[in-house]
Amino acid sequence: MPGFDALYERLRPECERLIAQYEQPRSALLPIVHLFQQHEGYTSREAMRATAEMLRLTPAVVESTVSFYTLFFRKPVGRYVLQVCRGLSCTINGAEEIMAYFREKLGIGHLQTTADGLFSYEEVECLAACDRPTCMQVNLEFFYDLTPAAIDEMIEAMRGGAFPVAPMAQTRAPESTWAIAQDDQVATGRKSPGATGVARPNNAGGLGDASGVIMLDRFVNKEIAFSERSNERLVRDSRAVYDVLEDGEQHAGH
Amino acid sequence: MPVTKVLTAGIGEVDLRDFTVYRDRGGYKQWERAVRELQPAQVLELADRSGLRGRGGAGFPTGKKWSFLPNDNKPRYLVCNCDEAEPGTFKDHMLLEQTPHLVLEGILLGAYGIASHHAFIYIRGEFKRGFEIFSKALDEARAAGLLGKNIFGTGYDLEVTVHRGAGAYICGEETGLLNSLEGKRGEPRLKPPFPAIAGLYGMPTVVNNVETLAYLVPILEKGAEWFAAVGTERSKGYKIISISGHVRKPGNYEVALGTTVRELIEIAGGLREGRTLKAVQPGGGSSACIFDEHLDWPYDYESMAKAGSMLGSGAFVVFDDTTDFVKCAFNLVRFFAHESCGQCTPCREGGHWLETVLHRFVEGRGLRSDLEMIRRVSSTITGLNLCALGDSIEPFLKSVINRFPEQFEARIDARSLQQNGSPAMAASAR
Amino acid sequence: MSSTPTQPDLVHLTIDGVAVEVPKGTLIVEAAKTVKQEIPVYCYHPKLGPAGLCRVCLVEVEGMPKLQIGCNTPVSDGMVVHTQNAKVDTGRSMILELLLVNHPLDCPICDKGGECDLQDYAMAYGRGSSDVADAKTSKPKGVDLGPTIVLDEERCVVCQRCVRFDDIIAQENQLVLKDRGARDIIATATGEPYRHNFTGNVTEICPVGALTSKTYRFKSRPWDLQRTQTSCTQCAVGCQQMVDVRSGTPLRTMSVESDDAISDGWLCDRGRYNIGFYASPERITQPLYRKDGEFHQIGWDDAFSLWAKAIKSSIAANGAASVGAIGGGRLTNEEAFFLQYLFRALGVENLDWRAGTQRQAGPGASGGTYAELERADAIVIAGESPAERAPVMDLRIRKAVARNGATLIRIAPAEGTPNVACIDVATVAQAIEAMPSGAKRVALVWDGVDLQLGAELAKAASGWAGLRTYVTGEQANARGAETMGMLPREGAMDTLAMFAAAREGRLDVLSLFGVNPVLHASDAAPTRAALERIPFLVVSDLFMTETAAMATLVLPAKGAFEKGGTTTNLTGDVLPVNQSLQAPESALSDFEMLIGLAQHFDEVALPTSEELDERVIGLCAKPPVADGFGAGRYASAAPSRPAPRPSDGLAVVVHSAVFAGGGTSAHDERIASLRPLPHASLGAQDAALYGLQSGDRIDLECDGVLLRDMVVAVRPGMRPGIVALTGGLPGRAANSLSAGARARVVNVRKAAAPVGV
Repeated sequence: MPGFDALYERLRPECERLIAQYEQPRSALLPIVHLFQQHEGYTSREAMRATAEMLRLTPAVVESTVSFYTLFFRKPVGRYVLQVCRGLSCTINGAEEIMAYFREKLGIGHLQTTADGLFSYEEVECLAACDRPTCMQVNLEFFYDLTPAAIDEMIEAMRGGAFPVAPMAQTRAPESTWAIAQDDQVATGRKSPGATGVARPNNAGGLGDASGVIMLDRFVNKEIAFSERSNERLVRDSRAVYDVLEDGEQHAGH
Repeated sequence: MPVTKVLTAGIGEVDLRDFTVYRDRGGYKQWERAVRELQPAQVLELADRSGLRGRGGAGFPTGKKWSFLPNDNKPRYLVCNCDEAEPGTFKDHMLLEQTPHLVLEGILLGAYGIASHHAFIYIRGEFKRGFEIFSKALDEARAAGLLGKNIFGTGYDLEVTVHRGAGAYICGEETGLLNSLEGKRGEPRLKPPFPAIAGLYGMPTVVNNVETLAYLVPILEKGAEWFAAVGTERSKGYKIISISGHVRKPGNYEVALGTTVRELIEIAGGLREGRTLKAVQPGGGSSACIFDEHLDWPYDYESMAKAGSMLGSGAFVVFDDTTDFVKCAFNLVRFFAHESCGQCTPCREGGHWLETVLHRFVEGRGLRSDLEMIRRVSSTITGLNLCALGDSIEPFLKSVINRFPEQFEARIDARSLQQNGSPAMAASAR
Repeated sequence: MSSTPTQPDLVHLTIDGVAVEVPKGTLIVEAAKTVKQEIPVYCYHPKLGPAGLCRVCLVEVEGMPKLQIGCNTPVSDGMVVHTQNAKVDTGRSMILELLLVNHPLDCPICDKGGECDLQDYAMAYGRGSSDVADAKTSKPKGVDLGPTIVLDEERCVVCQRCVRFDDIIAQENQLVLKDRGARDIIATATGEPYRHNFTGNVTEICPVGALTSKTYRFKSRPWDLQRTQTSCTQCAVGCQQMVDVRSGTPLRTMSVESDDAISDGWLCDRGRYNIGFYASPERITQPLYRKDGEFHQIGWDDAFSLWAKAIKSSIAANGAASVGAIGGGRLTNEEAFFLQYLFRALGVENLDWRAGTQRQAGPGASGGTYAELERADAIVIAGESPAERAPVMDLRIRKAVARNGATLIRIAPAEGTPNVACIDVATVAQAIEAMPSGAKRVALVWDGVDLQLGAELAKAASGWAGLRTYVTGEQANARGAETMGMLPREGAMDTLAMFAAAREGRLDVLSLFGVNPVLHASDAAPTRAALERIPFLVVSDLFMTETAAMATLVLPAKGAFEKGGTTTNLTGDVLPVNQSLQAPESALSDFEMLIGLAQHFDEVALPTSEELDERVIGLCAKPPVADGFGAGRYASAAPSRPAPRPSDGLAVVVHSAVFAGGGTSAHDERIASLRPLPHASLGAQDAALYGLQSGDRIDLECDGVLLRDMVVAVRPGMRPGIVALTGGLPGRAANSLSAGARARVVNVRKAAAPVGV
């Protein structure tokens, strides 16, 4: 990704400064990821790789750490991230109505982004501004005492480009949500061949085991009876398995 | 009214973010005096004699905490905990944004008191503005020679690093905070060892709350006796109380500890017209509710413990007779489940299970057998957890289930009264 | 308490009413084992230490209000511990109830069923009933983690043993926890496979069926397996392992947790997974005799007659010097002894075990143990990386460096190897001399290849106190073969001399036992030329190797699981090899073959089995030969280092990789994806010079041989002017290069994006 390389080059001195603040380089992980996110609008895999490289960690360790924190978005988000407080003090002072109004107004739910890529909406835990319910953050700037009218005005200003809070950087178009499904987090997301292979008669569980196939056939053909199954019996039968192997594969590899 | 302005003095009147304003009001005088005239041990002794207890939640005596540091030559660190996220608490947020130089001066004094040469402040990720305000204050102080190398020509070096979190309540737990400060997942550490022995980078470390450290400034100015003169026998001095919920004037109010619960409600403007008090959660989301019968109890660490709750961070949430306690219980359990780091079984699985069941109650699909299960599970997991978060699930839940059982009973699905009917069966019956 | 004098480092406590005396600092969970009281654990593992996560090891300690976790509570004097009472039961059953809230009930199709800690503890300590009324959470199942492991997130109890193994033991940090709270999952970096040489261990330490081996999935139930303990013979480390066989097929191998002295309780993936070849249809099943250029199946009697006749007539015509035998490094001690015994009885002295690049197996008088390696203050690695030659031994080195603070110093051979900063012997000597006195336990690990380097090292190290030496080799029982006398005595020919003689037509009969010099010798062309000229070449092997294909007589051999005996590992431990498997009917062990051969020589008096045992035991018990690295007796015909040829291009170095060796691992398609790519490793400077990045594909022209489709790996630590190629890959020409070859980069094909390697 050439765009990222240029950004990395540009931010590197700042990263070095952040690292130098601490006795151990790894302490700079959060600050560096914040810095990349500020410029990319989210925390890209490239950014996590670059962080890993600078801090001499594996990419897996950086991703693990990043995934712990809710303010790091591992997928692109809207230009305005609207985070409404669902804490207890706000909730008993009308936050539910405010949240319902937001959802209806934007046509999206918790952890979702509007199709135009302008708004991302999230209901967050207590924001420590309980004296002015309902409170929220827009790109981490506080807004208090929300009312439907104030929300209307706010959304209009954002749409019209006249909102006092700067929009987030957006280097990639967001999808409908930035929440990462657990299936996407795992290495390949694929079901393993072992899991599907078990149903196939030619593949007796796992990755194809010739003797397993033969054993299976022999069981199926009643040459070995399950009723007589015991370890001793199976060990004796193993000789028979080799007979089959030898008969079938005598000239293999010559 | 017994409101006293100590840390909150000047807030809302002048711009304390301005370095000159803060300095002209006597700011950084105590810092200069400490470095020039006092030994670190004297600062520690003052803190100890003042009776100052940790204002973050646990209420541990500050001087005592410092005294646990081993007497060795290892580097030692002071970490200021500004990861304020306990539901209902908003005092550190205010101090950080409104009077950053006071916060910094408190950190400097605390670091000096433990003879540290590197202090950190861990600021909650959401407090981006506060982070910027504090960073500016720090730069100004550094430019003025208040920190850095050879401060005031005394040969004492001290650096302060600002570190911003990224969204995790558990980083308010001191060892979770240290892990996060080390660039790791904010998972609390197994104790022992405690941070005083092996904290940041494995070195002796003290973690103190913002408010705790800030009180060092007036304590140095006016003396330990001045601070210890107010409050109750074991809960000395002043405290900022974050009052919110069903009151007319929610806000941060600084009072002497021992002010009664009734007085606190009145300070915040009292209840709204025509409403009656149902309960007060006196110490943040982790605390049990107190009720009418506790109205005239003094608000201090011991009395709140005696009332079956705790003073905690001083988050004082008032509930009137409009409150739906089932929803509140669900709200807090969801909070703890959402913020559980997931390391240990009781908190991870227990929190999630209770959240699922309480969500059904909110929707009116509770089972009769659930109530017993909620009581049993929430009480059994308490005390089994690696850190305090898992133990925080039960207190509020238990106190409101016991006090307002009718609200929970009312959410039991009338058509699924059989003891062990599953919600799925109940749904299909409809 | 009692007034009897106690040792200061022992503490006395009571566990379930039984008085216990254990060393200070012992954890309750370990102390309880001394009174046969099992405390259940998931996250705790003796090799990983306490983590305090699962909370199932709850115990009551009198005087403490809350239940304590046995895994992180050290004992103290006078402590009274209850591991079983009503309070403990309530806590434990709650933990088990919680673990089962979202645990799937797929035990009937779970590989772990029958040996699952969750099943066992739920049975022993669980409530037996559940209040769960809601649906279980759904998480990814059957996740393909990489070439070896499949993960079921739903079964995971988040004990983090696997994550901690990857961090603390393997230090690869590929497997991590993602997300948080109830959404926690085990994962790798997005898009990256879980791949290193020790992955299989996580399936063993996983207390539930979350991490399973692809090769064992859905294959068996533990109670249907026949278990045999043996020693792994895939490298010279000598790890103890359990072989689990069902119906004549080895289905899996497991480590031996108590094997502290050797494996430390771990196995490498090669030792663990390279077992499929036993059942390979490609195995040789009958003796084969080449007649008119074609192999013909013959019986064993005919094979022995032909072999014996060739030897007899050769000795009669050209003397015993025209006969030779090579092997022993892949045989048992008993076989190696019998091999040299028989041939020496026939007057044949041309005997050597060395068939590849390794020239020396003995570490000299200062040979050390693995425990000493772990405690070393400095570890000097010379030659190839032990990570590829002796993987489980490398775990000790990782432990010594990361956990005990040892200094790691690496000396590459003359030309350098990937990832190694090249330091010469003199610099190392200076570094060691400069170490503070008292911290001079130096471990010297050498690959036994470059005898000149070995001699330099021995000279430099002569003054180091506390020196311990190790030779990692190519063949598992190289040290045993050496001890048993499979080295030429004064005046006899060693392997290279035999090959030289063969090229000159002076060697008539050569018998090879379990060796494949065409693939493994550093220089294939002259080796091939030598073998082509031998009139009667006998090869005993499991498969039709490159060398066997050139033979006159090919003998089907048994593998290590199919026979018994002893083997000697690189630290000199004599270890049992136990039979766990029936060999194919017509295969014989090398021992049996030699007996068959011996029967055609009436003049040879065979020892009785008791006598043989005694002789072998006697040799094993002898102290190690005192001569050090690069000693004279190894050096007779060793090639001197090739002088770099003054031509342009890059100097070629061929290095080994765990799964690269042709040998047996080539015959199991299930582990085919573990074989390394044909990498061409370059330093950053050369990569920039040629405009290459990792993942690019190039062809290399080396002395007229075209090596096609090599994958570029840029390794910043490498010296300029070198390209390192993975050797031992079947069907690849890297091995065929002659020493000192130089390579030119031709035909560059750029990768779309740089690839991590």
